[in-house]
Amino acid sequence: MSVTTRPMTSDELAAVAAGREAHARREVVISMLDAGVTYPNGKTALSEVDVTIPRGDFVFLVGASGAGKTTFIKLLIREVQPTAGRVIVAGRDLARLRRREVPRLRRRIGIVFQDFRLLPAKTVFENVAFALEVTGASGAEIRRRVPMLLNLVGLHQHGDHLPTQLSGGEQQRVAIARALVHDPAILIADEPTGNLDPVTSWEIIQLLIQINVLGTTVLMATHNQEIVNAMRRRVLALEDGKLVRDEPEAAYEREY
Amino acid sequence: MGFLRFIGFSVIRAWQGFWRNAMMSLATTATVVLMLVLLSGLYIVITGLNSGLSFIESKVGVTAQLVGPPDQKALTEDQLATLITFTRGLPGVKDVTYVSPDDAMERLKEVYLARGQTLDLGNDPQHRITIYASIEIQLTDPKMGEPVAAALRDRSEVVQITTKQDELDKLVGVINVVRTVGLVAIALVGLTVLFMIVNTIRIAVYSRSGEIEIMRLVGASDSFIRWPFILEGILCGLIGALVAIGLVAIVWDPIQPVMYDVFKVPTIVGARFLATLSALLLAVGLAVGAIGSWISVRSYLAA
Repeated sequence: MSVTTRPMTSDELAAVAAGREAHARREVVISMLDAGVTYPNGKTALSEVDVTIPRGDFVFLVGASGAGKTTFIKLLIREVQPTAGRVIVAGRDLARLRRREVPRLRRRIGIVFQDFRLLPAKTVFENVAFALEVTGASGAEIRRRVPMLLNLVGLHQHGDHLPTQLSGGEQQRVAIARALVHDPAILIADEPTGNLDPVTSWEIIQLLIQINVLGTTVLMATHNQEIVNAMRRRVLALEDGKLVRDEPEAAYEREY
Repeated sequence: MGFLRFIGFSVIRAWQGFWRNAMMSLATTATVVLMLVLLSGLYIVITGLNSGLSFIESKVGVTAQLVGPPDQKALTEDQLATLITFTRGLPGVKDVTYVSPDDAMERLKEVYLARGQTLDLGNDPQHRITIYASIEIQLTDPKMGEPVAAALRDRSEVVQITTKQDELDKLVGVINVVRTVGLVAIALVGLTVLFMIVNTIRIAVYSRSGEIEIMRLVGASDSFIRWPFILEGILCGLIGALVAIGLVAIVWDPIQPVMYDVFKVPTIVGARFLATLSALLLAVGLAVGAIGSWISVRSYLAA
Protein backbone atom coordinates (compact mmCIF):
# COMPACT_ATOMS: atom_id res chain seq x y z
CA MET A 1 0.00 0.00 0.00
CA SER A 2 1.32 3.44 -0.83
CA VAL A 3 1.34 6.19 1.70
CA THR A 4 0.57 9.68 0.56
CA THR A 5 2.20 12.40 2.57
CA ARG A 6 0.33 15.67 2.87
CA PRO A 7 0.04 18.29 5.59
CA MET A 8 -2.62 17.36 8.11
CA THR A 9 -5.69 19.52 8.38
CA SER A 10 -6.32 21.27 11.64
CA ASP A 11 -9.13 18.81 12.36
CA GLU A 12 -6.79 15.92 11.92
CA LEU A 13 -4.16 17.53 14.05
CA ALA A 14 -6.78 18.05 16.70
CA ALA A 15 -7.89 14.44 16.40
CA VAL A 16 -4.37 13.18 16.72
CA ALA A 17 -3.78 15.40 19.72
CA ALA A 18 -7.05 14.30 21.30
CA GLY A 19 -6.25 10.69 20.55
CA ARG A 20 -2.79 10.96 22.16
CA GLU A 21 -4.22 12.65 25.15
CA ALA A 22 -6.90 10.00 25.52
CA HIS A 23 -4.44 7.20 24.97
CA ALA A 24 -2.36 8.59 27.79
CA ARG A 25 -5.33 7.84 30.00
CA ARG A 26 -7.13 4.90 28.37
CA GLU A 27 -7.46 3.36 24.91
CA VAL A 28 -10.30 4.95 22.95
CA VAL A 29 -12.65 2.50 21.25
CA ILE A 30 -15.14 4.98 19.82
CA SER A 31 -14.35 8.48 18.74
CA MET A 32 -16.57 10.80 16.77
CA LEU A 33 -15.31 14.15 15.64
CA ASP A 34 -17.90 16.58 14.33
CA ALA A 35 -19.61 13.56 12.82
CA GLY A 36 -22.79 13.92 10.82
CA VAL A 37 -25.07 11.79 8.71
CA THR A 38 -27.31 13.21 6.04
CA TYR A 39 -29.34 10.61 4.18
CA PRO A 40 -29.62 10.72 0.39
CA ASN A 41 -33.20 12.03 0.76
CA GLY A 42 -31.75 15.14 2.40
CA LYS A 43 -32.80 14.35 5.95
CA THR A 44 -30.07 15.05 8.47
CA ALA A 45 -30.13 12.31 11.09
CA LEU A 46 -27.02 13.29 13.00
CA SER A 47 -24.90 16.40 13.02
CA GLU A 48 -21.87 17.78 14.80
CA VAL A 49 -21.51 14.86 17.16
CA ASP A 50 -18.31 14.92 19.20
CA VAL A 51 -17.83 12.03 21.56
CA THR A 52 -14.99 9.89 22.86
CA ILE A 53 -15.61 6.58 24.57
CA PRO A 54 -12.63 4.89 26.20
CA ARG A 55 -12.29 1.15 26.56
CA GLY A 56 -14.24 -0.26 29.47
CA ASP A 57 -16.90 2.45 29.65
CA PHE A 58 -20.54 1.69 30.24
CA VAL A 59 -22.56 4.27 28.35
CA PHE A 60 -26.30 4.87 28.04
CA LEU A 61 -27.58 6.42 24.84
CA VAL A 62 -30.91 8.11 25.43
CA GLY A 63 -33.26 10.24 23.40
CA ALA A 64 -36.77 10.28 22.01
CA SER A 65 -37.66 8.18 18.99
CA GLY A 66 -36.27 9.84 15.92
CA ALA A 67 -33.58 11.68 17.88
CA GLY A 68 -30.89 9.78 16.03
CA LYS A 69 -30.11 6.82 18.32
CA THR A 70 -30.57 4.29 15.53
CA THR A 71 -28.41 6.27 13.12
CA PHE A 72 -25.78 6.61 15.86
CA ILE A 73 -25.67 2.82 16.19
CA LYS A 74 -25.75 2.27 12.42
CA LEU A 75 -22.86 4.66 12.13
CA LEU A 76 -20.80 2.65 14.61
CA ILE A 77 -21.33 -0.65 12.78
CA ARG A 78 -20.81 1.12 9.48
CA GLU A 79 -24.28 0.39 8.18
CA VAL A 80 -24.34 4.07 7.25
CA GLN A 81 -21.29 6.13 6.45
CA PRO A 82 -20.56 9.51 7.98
CA THR A 83 -21.28 12.31 5.52
CA ALA A 84 -19.38 14.76 7.71
CA GLY A 85 -16.60 14.60 10.25
CA ARG A 86 -14.77 11.51 11.37
CA VAL A 87 -15.76 8.33 13.11
CA ILE A 88 -13.10 6.02 14.49
CA VAL A 89 -14.21 2.69 15.91
CA ALA A 90 -11.80 0.10 17.31
CA GLY A 91 -8.94 1.92 15.62
CA ARG A 92 -10.57 2.12 12.19
CA ASP A 93 -11.48 5.30 10.37
CA LEU A 94 -14.94 4.40 9.09
CA ALA A 95 -15.00 6.97 6.30
CA ARG A 96 -11.95 5.32 4.77
CA LEU A 97 -12.89 1.76 5.55
CA ARG A 98 -13.23 -0.26 2.37
CA ARG A 99 -16.31 -2.36 1.85
CA ARG A 100 -14.48 -5.63 2.18
CA GLU A 101 -12.97 -4.48 5.49
CA VAL A 102 -16.40 -3.99 7.06
CA PRO A 103 -16.77 -7.64 8.20
CA ARG A 104 -13.53 -7.34 10.22
CA LEU A 105 -14.90 -4.21 11.91
CA ARG A 106 -18.16 -5.99 12.71
CA ARG A 107 -16.28 -8.76 14.46
CA ARG A 108 -14.92 -6.13 16.84
CA ILE A 109 -18.48 -5.02 17.68
CA GLY A 110 -21.18 -7.19 19.19
CA ILE A 111 -24.77 -6.06 18.87
CA VAL A 112 -28.08 -7.10 20.41
CA PHE A 113 -31.57 -5.83 19.66
CA GLN A 114 -34.94 -5.46 21.33
CA ASP A 115 -36.33 -8.33 19.21
CA PHE A 116 -33.38 -10.70 19.90
CA ARG A 117 -33.11 -11.73 16.20
CA LEU A 118 -32.40 -15.37 16.86
CA LEU A 119 -32.80 -17.92 14.07
CA PRO A 120 -35.96 -19.82 15.01
CA ALA A 121 -35.03 -23.10 13.33
CA LYS A 122 -31.68 -23.36 15.11
CA THR A 123 -31.06 -24.43 18.69
CA VAL A 124 -29.48 -22.15 21.24
CA PHE A 125 -26.09 -23.77 20.64
CA GLU A 126 -26.48 -23.51 16.84
CA ASN A 127 -27.52 -19.86 17.05
CA VAL A 128 -24.31 -18.97 18.85
CA ALA A 129 -22.23 -21.36 16.74
CA PHE A 130 -23.65 -19.81 13.55
CA ALA A 131 -21.81 -16.54 14.20
CA LEU A 132 -18.53 -18.46 14.38
CA GLU A 133 -19.34 -20.76 11.49
CA VAL A 134 -20.08 -17.94 9.03
CA THR A 135 -16.80 -16.27 9.86
CA GLY A 136 -14.84 -19.40 9.04
CA ALA A 137 -14.13 -20.68 12.55
CA SER A 138 -13.05 -24.29 12.93
CA GLY A 139 -15.19 -26.97 14.52
CA ALA A 140 -12.78 -27.19 17.43
CA GLU A 141 -13.04 -23.46 18.04
CA ILE A 142 -16.84 -23.66 17.93
CA ARG A 143 -16.90 -26.54 20.42
CA ARG A 144 -14.60 -24.59 22.71
CA ARG A 145 -16.16 -21.11 22.45
CA VAL A 146 -19.90 -21.77 22.43
CA PRO A 147 -20.17 -23.65 25.76
CA MET A 148 -17.95 -21.00 27.32
CA LEU A 149 -20.30 -18.22 26.22
CA LEU A 150 -23.47 -20.12 27.12
CA ASN A 151 -21.91 -20.59 30.52
CA LEU A 152 -21.19 -16.85 30.79
CA VAL A 153 -24.84 -15.97 30.11
CA GLY A 154 -26.09 -18.81 32.32
CA LEU A 155 -27.65 -20.95 29.62
CA HIS A 156 -25.21 -23.84 29.46
CA GLN A 157 -28.05 -26.28 30.16
CA HIS A 158 -30.26 -24.91 27.38
CA GLY A 159 -28.00 -25.54 24.38
CA ASP A 160 -30.38 -28.00 22.75
CA HIS A 161 -33.48 -25.86 23.16
CA LEU A 162 -35.07 -23.90 20.38
CA PRO A 163 -35.52 -20.15 20.92
CA THR A 164 -39.30 -20.62 21.10
CA GLN A 165 -38.85 -22.85 24.15
CA LEU A 166 -37.15 -20.03 26.04
CA SER A 167 -38.43 -16.97 27.89
CA GLY A 168 -37.77 -13.50 26.50
CA GLY A 169 -34.97 -12.92 28.97
CA GLU A 170 -33.32 -16.20 28.07
CA GLN A 171 -33.58 -15.41 24.38
CA GLN A 172 -31.87 -12.08 24.98
CA ARG A 173 -29.11 -13.94 26.83
CA VAL A 174 -28.61 -16.15 23.77
CA ALA A 175 -28.38 -13.01 21.64
CA ILE A 176 -25.79 -11.59 24.03
CA ALA A 177 -23.77 -14.81 23.90
CA ARG A 178 -23.84 -14.62 20.11
CA ALA A 179 -22.79 -10.96 20.16
CA LEU A 180 -19.78 -11.83 22.31
CA VAL A 181 -18.66 -14.76 20.24
CA HIS A 182 -15.79 -12.90 18.57
CA ASP A 183 -14.69 -11.34 21.84
CA PRO A 184 -15.56 -7.83 20.63
CA ALA A 185 -14.15 -4.59 22.00
CA ILE A 186 -17.62 -3.05 22.07
CA LEU A 187 -21.05 -4.45 22.87
CA ILE A 188 -23.92 -2.37 21.52
CA ALA A 189 -27.32 -3.06 23.01
CA ASP A 190 -30.21 -1.41 21.18
CA GLU A 191 -33.17 -1.32 23.59
CA PRO A 192 -32.24 -4.74 24.96
CA THR A 193 -34.93 -4.60 27.63
CA GLY A 194 -37.66 -3.17 25.44
CA ASN A 195 -39.56 -6.46 25.27
CA LEU A 196 -38.86 -7.63 28.80
CA ASP A 197 -40.62 -7.29 32.14
CA PRO A 198 -38.89 -5.20 34.85
CA VAL A 199 -37.40 -8.15 36.75
CA THR A 200 -35.99 -9.77 33.62
CA SER A 201 -34.77 -6.36 32.46
CA TRP A 202 -32.71 -6.04 35.59
CA GLU A 203 -31.24 -9.48 35.07
CA ILE A 204 -30.14 -8.47 31.59
CA ILE A 205 -28.62 -5.26 32.96
CA GLN A 206 -26.76 -7.29 35.57
CA LEU A 207 -25.37 -9.46 32.79
CA LEU A 208 -24.30 -6.41 30.78
CA ILE A 209 -22.54 -5.00 33.81
CA GLN A 210 -20.75 -8.30 34.35
CA ILE A 211 -19.63 -8.26 30.70
CA ASN A 212 -18.48 -4.66 31.13
CA VAL A 213 -16.50 -5.59 34.23
CA LEU A 214 -14.77 -8.27 32.17
CA GLY A 215 -13.43 -5.48 29.94
CA THR A 216 -15.95 -4.99 27.13
CA THR A 217 -17.13 -1.48 26.41
CA VAL A 218 -20.93 -1.40 26.56
CA LEU A 219 -23.13 1.11 24.78
CA MET A 220 -26.81 0.72 25.57
CA ALA A 221 -29.54 2.66 23.84
CA THR A 222 -32.64 2.75 26.00
CA HIS A 223 -35.88 4.45 26.97
CA ASN A 224 -35.87 2.82 30.37
CA GLN A 225 -35.58 5.77 32.76
CA GLU A 226 -35.66 3.66 35.87
CA ILE A 227 -32.59 1.68 34.83
CA VAL A 228 -30.62 4.71 33.70
CA ASN A 229 -31.43 6.61 36.86
CA ALA A 230 -30.56 3.70 39.11
CA MET A 231 -27.29 2.90 37.39
CA ARG A 232 -25.69 6.34 37.46
CA ARG A 233 -23.46 5.76 34.48
CA ARG A 234 -22.33 7.99 31.65
CA VAL A 235 -25.27 9.23 29.60
CA LEU A 236 -25.26 10.49 26.03
CA ALA A 237 -28.48 12.25 25.13
CA LEU A 238 -29.49 12.90 21.53
CA GLU A 239 -32.07 15.39 20.40
CA ASP A 240 -32.88 16.10 16.78
CA GLY A 241 -29.65 14.48 15.68
CA LYS A 242 -27.48 16.51 18.02
CA LEU A 243 -25.62 15.36 21.09
CA VAL A 244 -27.20 17.61 23.72
CA ARG A 245 -25.75 16.01 26.83
CA ASP A 246 -22.69 13.93 27.66
CA GLU A 247 -22.52 13.49 31.41
CA PRO A 248 -20.79 11.00 33.67
CA GLU A 249 -22.75 9.28 36.47
CA ALA A 250 -25.91 10.87 35.19
CA ALA A 251 -29.66 10.35 35.12
CA TYR A 252 -32.09 9.88 32.24
CA GLU A 253 -33.24 13.49 32.36
CA ARG A 254 -31.15 16.58 32.84
CA GLU A 255 -30.99 17.24 36.58
CA TYR A 256 -29.95 20.85 36.64
CA MET B 1 -7.63 -25.01 5.85
CA GLY B 2 -9.73 -21.89 6.10
CA PHE B 3 -10.48 -22.11 2.41
CA LEU B 4 -11.58 -25.74 2.70
CA ARG B 5 -13.91 -24.77 5.53
CA PHE B 6 -15.34 -22.02 3.36
CA ILE B 7 -15.91 -24.47 0.51
CA GLY B 8 -17.47 -27.00 2.88
CA PHE B 9 -19.70 -24.39 4.45
CA SER B 10 -20.84 -23.06 1.07
CA VAL B 11 -21.53 -26.48 -0.43
CA ILE B 12 -23.52 -27.62 2.59
CA ARG B 13 -25.53 -24.39 2.66
CA ALA B 14 -26.17 -24.67 -1.07
CA TRP B 15 -27.34 -28.27 -0.70
CA GLN B 16 -29.63 -27.34 2.22
CA GLY B 17 -30.93 -24.37 0.25
CA PHE B 18 -31.68 -26.58 -2.75
CA TRP B 19 -33.91 -28.90 -0.71
CA ARG B 20 -35.36 -26.15 1.46
CA ASN B 21 -37.48 -25.05 -1.48
CA ALA B 22 -37.45 -28.39 -3.23
CA MET B 23 -40.43 -27.80 -5.56
CA MET B 24 -38.91 -24.65 -7.00
CA SER B 25 -35.40 -26.10 -7.25
CA LEU B 26 -36.63 -29.27 -8.95
CA ALA B 27 -38.81 -27.32 -11.38
CA THR B 28 -35.79 -25.22 -12.29
CA THR B 29 -33.64 -28.31 -12.66
CA ALA B 30 -36.32 -29.79 -14.93
CA THR B 31 -36.14 -26.75 -17.22
CA VAL B 32 -32.37 -27.15 -17.31
CA VAL B 33 -32.88 -30.78 -18.35
CA LEU B 34 -35.36 -29.69 -21.02
CA MET B 35 -32.93 -27.17 -22.44
CA LEU B 36 -30.04 -29.61 -22.45
CA VAL B 37 -32.13 -32.37 -24.05
CA LEU B 38 -33.09 -29.92 -26.81
CA LEU B 39 -29.45 -29.03 -27.16
CA SER B 40 -28.50 -32.70 -27.37
CA GLY B 41 -31.14 -33.30 -30.04
CA LEU B 42 -29.84 -30.40 -32.08
CA TYR B 43 -26.26 -31.52 -31.59
CA ILE B 44 -27.09 -35.06 -32.69
CA VAL B 45 -29.05 -33.94 -35.76
CA ILE B 46 -26.43 -31.39 -36.82
CA THR B 47 -23.60 -33.89 -36.33
CA GLY B 48 -25.57 -36.43 -38.36
CA LEU B 49 -26.37 -34.02 -41.16
CA ASN B 50 -22.79 -32.76 -41.32
CA SER B 51 -21.45 -36.29 -41.52
CA GLY B 52 -24.00 -37.18 -44.16
CA LEU B 53 -22.92 -34.13 -46.07
CA SER B 54 -19.26 -35.03 -46.08
CA PHE B 55 -20.14 -38.63 -46.92
CA ILE B 56 -22.10 -37.50 -49.96
CA GLU B 57 -19.32 -35.12 -50.92
CA SER B 58 -16.80 -37.92 -50.76
CA LYS B 59 -19.00 -40.35 -52.66
CA VAL B 60 -20.08 -39.56 -56.19
CA GLY B 61 -18.73 -36.28 -57.40
CA VAL B 62 -19.76 -35.88 -61.02
CA THR B 63 -22.06 -37.92 -63.23
CA ALA B 64 -21.84 -37.62 -67.00
CA GLN B 65 -24.83 -38.89 -68.94
CA LEU B 66 -23.71 -40.45 -72.20
CA VAL B 67 -25.30 -40.33 -75.61
CA GLY B 68 -27.45 -43.30 -76.59
CA PRO B 69 -30.78 -44.41 -77.96
CA PRO B 70 -33.34 -43.36 -78.80
CA ASP B 71 -31.86 -39.95 -79.88
CA GLN B 72 -28.41 -41.14 -80.91
CA LYS B 73 -26.51 -44.31 -81.37
CA ALA B 74 -24.88 -45.74 -78.30
CA LEU B 75 -21.15 -45.29 -77.87
CA THR B 76 -18.93 -48.03 -79.17
CA GLU B 77 -16.62 -49.71 -76.72
CA ASP B 78 -13.65 -47.84 -78.21
CA GLN B 79 -15.36 -44.48 -77.82
CA LEU B 80 -16.26 -45.37 -74.26
CA ALA B 81 -12.71 -46.49 -73.49
CA THR B 82 -11.31 -43.23 -74.90
CA LEU B 83 -13.71 -41.17 -72.82
CA ILE B 84 -12.89 -43.07 -69.65
CA THR B 85 -9.14 -42.77 -70.27
CA PHE B 86 -9.56 -39.04 -70.92
CA THR B 87 -11.59 -38.64 -67.76
CA ARG B 88 -9.13 -40.60 -65.64
CA GLY B 89 -6.43 -38.21 -66.84
CA LEU B 90 -8.22 -35.13 -65.51
CA PRO B 91 -6.78 -33.62 -62.35
CA GLY B 92 -8.80 -34.37 -59.20
CA VAL B 93 -10.32 -37.59 -60.53
CA LYS B 94 -9.98 -40.58 -58.23
CA ASP B 95 -11.98 -43.21 -60.05
CA VAL B 96 -14.37 -43.60 -62.95
CA THR B 97 -17.18 -46.14 -63.06
CA TYR B 98 -19.24 -46.99 -66.13
CA VAL B 99 -22.93 -47.52 -65.45
CA SER B 100 -24.73 -49.21 -68.33
CA PRO B 101 -28.44 -48.67 -68.98
CA ASP B 102 -29.08 -52.14 -67.58
CA ASP B 103 -27.14 -51.32 -64.42
CA ALA B 104 -29.10 -48.12 -64.10
CA MET B 105 -32.35 -50.05 -64.51
CA GLU B 106 -31.29 -52.48 -61.80
CA ARG B 107 -30.54 -49.60 -59.45
CA LEU B 108 -33.91 -48.05 -60.14
CA LYS B 109 -35.60 -51.36 -59.40
CA GLU B 110 -33.65 -51.62 -56.15
CA VAL B 111 -34.78 -48.16 -55.12
CA TYR B 112 -38.39 -49.16 -55.71
CA LEU B 113 -37.87 -52.45 -53.95
CA ALA B 114 -36.45 -50.65 -50.94
CA ARG B 115 -39.68 -48.66 -50.81
CA GLY B 116 -41.68 -51.88 -50.99
CA GLN B 117 -42.91 -51.28 -54.53
CA THR B 118 -42.21 -53.00 -57.79
CA LEU B 119 -41.11 -51.02 -60.75
CA ASP B 120 -43.55 -51.81 -63.51
CA LEU B 121 -42.42 -50.26 -66.73
CA GLY B 122 -45.17 -51.98 -68.63
CA ASN B 123 -45.00 -52.45 -72.31
CA ASP B 124 -46.74 -49.31 -73.32
CA PRO B 125 -44.32 -47.82 -75.89
CA GLN B 126 -45.67 -44.32 -75.29
CA HIS B 127 -44.61 -44.38 -71.69
CA ARG B 128 -41.28 -46.09 -72.05
CA ILE B 129 -38.67 -44.71 -69.76
CA THR B 130 -35.45 -43.82 -71.47
CA ILE B 131 -32.43 -44.80 -69.45
CA TYR B 132 -29.06 -43.58 -70.53
CA ALA B 133 -25.68 -44.97 -69.83
CA SER B 134 -23.44 -42.83 -67.67
CA ILE B 135 -20.05 -42.60 -66.09
CA GLU B 136 -19.74 -41.77 -62.42
CA ILE B 137 -16.62 -39.91 -61.43
CA GLN B 138 -15.27 -39.96 -57.90
CA LEU B 139 -13.14 -37.05 -56.94
CA THR B 140 -10.10 -36.77 -54.74
CA ASP B 141 -11.45 -33.46 -53.50
CA PRO B 142 -15.08 -32.31 -53.72
CA LYS B 143 -13.84 -28.89 -54.85
CA MET B 144 -12.57 -30.38 -58.13
CA GLY B 145 -16.16 -31.07 -59.25
CA GLU B 146 -16.51 -27.89 -61.30
CA PRO B 147 -13.25 -28.16 -63.38
CA VAL B 148 -13.93 -31.83 -64.13
CA ALA B 149 -17.51 -31.05 -65.17
CA ALA B 150 -16.27 -28.21 -67.38
CA ALA B 151 -13.76 -30.45 -69.13
CA LEU B 152 -16.43 -33.03 -69.93
CA ARG B 153 -19.26 -30.69 -70.84
CA ASP B 154 -17.96 -29.92 -74.39
CA ARG B 155 -17.34 -33.53 -75.39
CA SER B 156 -19.71 -35.01 -77.96
CA GLU B 157 -20.11 -38.29 -76.02
CA VAL B 158 -21.69 -36.44 -73.13
CA VAL B 159 -25.33 -35.38 -73.10
CA GLN B 160 -25.51 -33.85 -69.70
CA ILE B 161 -23.38 -33.35 -66.63
CA THR B 162 -24.81 -33.61 -63.15
CA THR B 163 -22.68 -32.61 -60.28
CA LYS B 164 -23.86 -33.21 -56.72
CA GLN B 165 -23.29 -29.53 -56.06
CA ASP B 166 -26.96 -28.63 -56.24
CA GLU B 167 -27.91 -31.40 -53.85
CA LEU B 168 -25.06 -30.47 -51.56
CA ASP B 169 -26.15 -26.85 -51.61
CA LYS B 170 -29.67 -27.91 -50.70
CA LEU B 171 -28.40 -30.07 -47.88
CA VAL B 172 -26.18 -27.29 -46.59
CA GLY B 173 -29.24 -25.01 -46.72
CA VAL B 174 -31.27 -27.52 -44.71
CA ILE B 175 -28.50 -27.89 -42.17
CA ASN B 176 -28.28 -24.13 -41.78
CA VAL B 177 -32.03 -23.81 -41.28
CA VAL B 178 -32.07 -26.64 -38.75
CA ARG B 179 -29.14 -25.12 -36.93
CA THR B 180 -30.63 -21.62 -36.85
CA VAL B 181 -34.09 -22.75 -35.79
CA GLY B 182 -32.58 -25.07 -33.22
CA LEU B 183 -30.32 -22.43 -31.77
CA VAL B 184 -33.13 -19.88 -31.59
CA ALA B 185 -35.35 -22.43 -29.82
CA ILE B 186 -32.56 -23.27 -27.40
CA ALA B 187 -31.81 -19.60 -26.81
CA LEU B 188 -35.48 -19.01 -25.91
CA VAL B 189 -35.58 -22.02 -23.60
CA GLY B 190 -32.22 -20.92 -22.21
CA LEU B 191 -33.67 -17.52 -21.39
CA THR B 192 -36.56 -19.20 -19.58
CA VAL B 193 -34.10 -21.35 -17.67
CA LEU B 194 -32.13 -18.25 -16.72
CA PHE B 195 -35.29 -16.58 -15.40
CA MET B 196 -36.17 -19.70 -13.44
CA ILE B 197 -32.74 -19.81 -11.84
CA VAL B 198 -32.75 -16.09 -11.06
CA ASN B 199 -36.15 -16.52 -9.45
CA THR B 200 -35.23 -19.65 -7.51
CA ILE B 201 -32.18 -17.97 -6.06
CA ARG B 202 -34.17 -14.82 -5.35
CA ILE B 203 -36.61 -16.88 -3.29
CA ALA B 204 -33.68 -18.64 -1.60
CA VAL B 205 -32.21 -15.26 -0.70
CA TYR B 206 -35.55 -14.07 0.73
CA SER B 207 -36.12 -17.25 2.67
CA ARG B 208 -32.71 -16.77 4.25
CA SER B 209 -33.05 -13.02 4.82
CA GLY B 210 -32.95 -13.47 8.61
CA GLU B 211 -29.75 -15.47 8.42
CA ILE B 212 -28.20 -13.02 5.96
CA GLU B 213 -28.91 -10.14 8.34
CA ILE B 214 -27.29 -12.02 11.22
CA MET B 215 -24.33 -12.95 9.02
CA ARG B 216 -23.78 -9.28 8.17
CA LEU B 217 -24.03 -8.24 11.82
CA VAL B 218 -21.58 -10.82 13.11
CA GLY B 219 -19.06 -9.93 10.41
CA ALA B 220 -19.37 -12.71 7.83
CA SER B 221 -17.48 -11.75 4.71
CA ASP B 222 -19.30 -11.22 1.42
CA SER B 223 -18.02 -14.49 0.00
CA PHE B 224 -19.57 -16.45 2.88
CA ILE B 225 -22.87 -14.68 2.24
CA ARG B 226 -22.89 -14.93 -1.56
CA TRP B 227 -21.23 -18.17 -2.58
CA PRO B 228 -23.80 -20.55 -1.08
CA PHE B 229 -26.43 -18.97 -3.33
CA ILE B 230 -24.23 -19.04 -6.40
CA LEU B 231 -23.46 -22.69 -5.69
CA GLU B 232 -27.16 -23.37 -5.23
CA GLY B 233 -27.77 -22.11 -8.77
CA ILE B 234 -24.81 -24.09 -10.06
CA LEU B 235 -26.28 -27.12 -8.31
CA CYS B 236 -29.50 -26.74 -10.36
CA GLY B 237 -27.35 -26.62 -13.50
CA LEU B 238 -25.18 -29.54 -12.40
CA ILE B 239 -28.05 -31.86 -11.49
CA GLY B 240 -29.87 -30.86 -14.69
CA ALA B 241 -26.77 -31.63 -16.74
CA LEU B 242 -26.24 -35.01 -15.07
CA VAL B 243 -29.87 -36.00 -15.71
CA ALA B 244 -29.62 -34.86 -19.33
CA ILE B 245 -26.37 -36.79 -19.83
CA GLY B 246 -28.05 -39.86 -18.34
CA LEU B 247 -30.99 -39.49 -20.76
CA VAL B 248 -28.67 -39.11 -23.73
CA ALA B 249 -26.68 -42.16 -22.62
CA ILE B 250 -29.91 -44.18 -22.47
CA VAL B 251 -31.06 -43.19 -25.96
CA TRP B 252 -27.55 -43.42 -27.37
CA ASP B 253 -27.87 -47.18 -28.02
CA PRO B 254 -30.87 -46.91 -30.35
CA ILE B 255 -29.45 -43.76 -31.92
CA GLN B 256 -26.02 -45.19 -32.62
CA PRO B 257 -26.94 -47.43 -35.62
CA VAL B 258 -28.90 -44.56 -37.13
CA MET B 259 -25.88 -42.32 -36.81
CA TYR B 260 -23.59 -44.85 -38.43
CA ASP B 261 -25.93 -46.23 -41.11
CA VAL B 262 -28.10 -43.31 -42.10
CA PHE B 263 -25.83 -40.35 -41.50
CA LYS B 264 -22.58 -42.28 -42.07
CA VAL B 265 -20.99 -40.73 -39.00
CA PRO B 266 -17.38 -41.84 -39.04
CA THR B 267 -16.72 -44.30 -36.21
CA ILE B 268 -13.95 -42.10 -34.88
CA VAL B 269 -16.48 -39.29 -34.29
CA GLY B 270 -19.01 -41.79 -32.94
CA ALA B 271 -16.67 -43.10 -30.27
CA ARG B 272 -15.94 -39.65 -28.88
CA PHE B 273 -19.47 -38.44 -29.49
CA LEU B 274 -20.95 -39.20 -26.09
CA ALA B 275 -17.96 -37.76 -24.23
CA THR B 276 -18.00 -34.57 -26.31
CA LEU B 277 -21.74 -34.14 -25.88
CA SER B 278 -21.53 -34.79 -22.12
CA ALA B 279 -18.81 -32.17 -21.75
CA LEU B 280 -20.94 -29.71 -23.71
CA LEU B 281 -24.04 -30.39 -21.58
CA LEU B 282 -22.06 -30.10 -18.35
CA ALA B 283 -20.47 -26.83 -19.45
CA VAL B 284 -23.78 -25.29 -20.56
CA GLY B 285 -25.62 -26.51 -17.45
CA LEU B 286 -23.00 -25.14 -15.06
CA ALA B 287 -22.71 -21.89 -16.98
CA VAL B 288 -26.43 -21.16 -17.01
CA GLY B 289 -26.66 -22.02 -13.29
CA ALA B 290 -23.74 -19.78 -12.42
CA ILE B 291 -24.91 -16.87 -14.57
CA GLY B 292 -28.49 -17.05 -13.29
CA SER B 293 -27.53 -17.18 -9.63
CA TRP B 294 -24.88 -14.51 -10.12
CA ILE B 295 -27.51 -12.16 -11.59
CA SER B 296 -29.83 -12.95 -8.70
CA VAL B 297 -27.20 -12.43 -6.02
CA ARG B 298 -26.15 -9.18 -7.67
CA SER B 299 -29.74 -7.91 -7.81
CA TYR B 300 -31.26 -9.20 -4.58
CA LEU B 301 -28.29 -9.42 -2.26
CA ALA B 302 -27.04 -5.88 -2.70
CA ALA B 303 -24.91 -4.69 0.15
